[in-house]
Amino acid sequence: MRSLALIIAVTFSLGGCVTLPPNVFLVSPDQLARRPIETRRYDGIKEESLLVASANVLQDLGFTLENSETKLGVLTASKQRDAADAGEIAGAIFVALLTGQPTPVSKDQTIRVSLVVRPVQATKDSKPVDNHFVRITFQRVVRRTDNSVYAQTLDDKELYEGFFEKLSKSIFFEAQKI
Amino acid sequence: MNKRIAVGILVTSVLLFGACTATTKERVLDIGDQSQLQRRSYQTRTFDTNDKEKVMRAVISTLQDLSFVVERADLLLGTVSGTKYQDRLTIRMTVSVRPRGNTQMVVRANGQLNVKPIEDPKAYQDFFTSLEKSLFLTAQIGE
Repeated sequence: MRSLALIIAVTFSLGGCVTLPPNVFLVSPDQLARRPIETRRYDGIKEESLLVASANVLQDLGFTLENSETKLGVLTASKQRDAADAGEIAGAIFVALLTGQPTPVSKDQTIRVSLVVRPVQATKDSKPVDNHFVRITFQRVVRRTDNSVYAQTLDDKELYEGFFEKLSKSIFFEAQKI
Repeated sequence: MNKRIAVGILVTSVLLFGACTATTKERVLDIGDQSQLQRRSYQTRTFDTNDKEKVMRAVISTLQDLSFVVERADLLLGTVSGTKYQDRLTIRMTVSVRPRGNTQMVVRANGQLNVKPIEDPKAYQDFFTSLEKSLFLTAQIGE
């Protein structure tokens, strides 16, 4: 009986079956808490101008625009960057000294972003003009020195604050026609 | 004893992996154990609104709430696609919105987890529950 359990355990671990985590499609309290971090409201600017200002910020940051649907306020962009991290390399050297085995470290990354503009109240009949939310999500796909890949959603609050600061500036430039 | 374990591992491997191997044709045209109709019924909900743009914007908001990066959207075609990374998982979703008659919108979602289709009706039920909240409308089952 024990050997049967062992057999099943070994075979399943070889198979590496992945299952969907429970409730992955229900909005969790953590995800709700992310909403204000990833969203800013901009009043007194047309959706089109807000999208232009946003595209300009993404260009300022060196992103390449991949997709856009202006009728739905969607912009998608990405950029490739170095991913080497001094702390991670130091750690890898330390581990390598201890074990004699090289440890793969982050090499390069693709940073992806989706930016969505939506009217504060999106109904056909009562469209209030010029009040919009901008919501942005950053992800990165990192390649290590052994060519293995991992991906993550970026949740650093300061990163989002920094972006919206730049967007506010860009909107100012847009308004001043700079 | 060791020999018996080895044979056992071999037999269970063949049984488990045998079921997973398929030809390219089977992989391109795979529909799992479910019929096309079964799949459509749990992937689809109907909403009482004729405002396609409103439904699509709600779909986009819901995907963003669920930490997806929205990759593509097309108002004319009514489609939105996005990707989410969680731990070692990659989840991709496409949601399509199309009008039915003059008073309703039909929303259909399909997703994949790493290299497998998401076939658990509960996952879609959850997605539509999240969409309902964003849309302030009740989802009706089926087309």
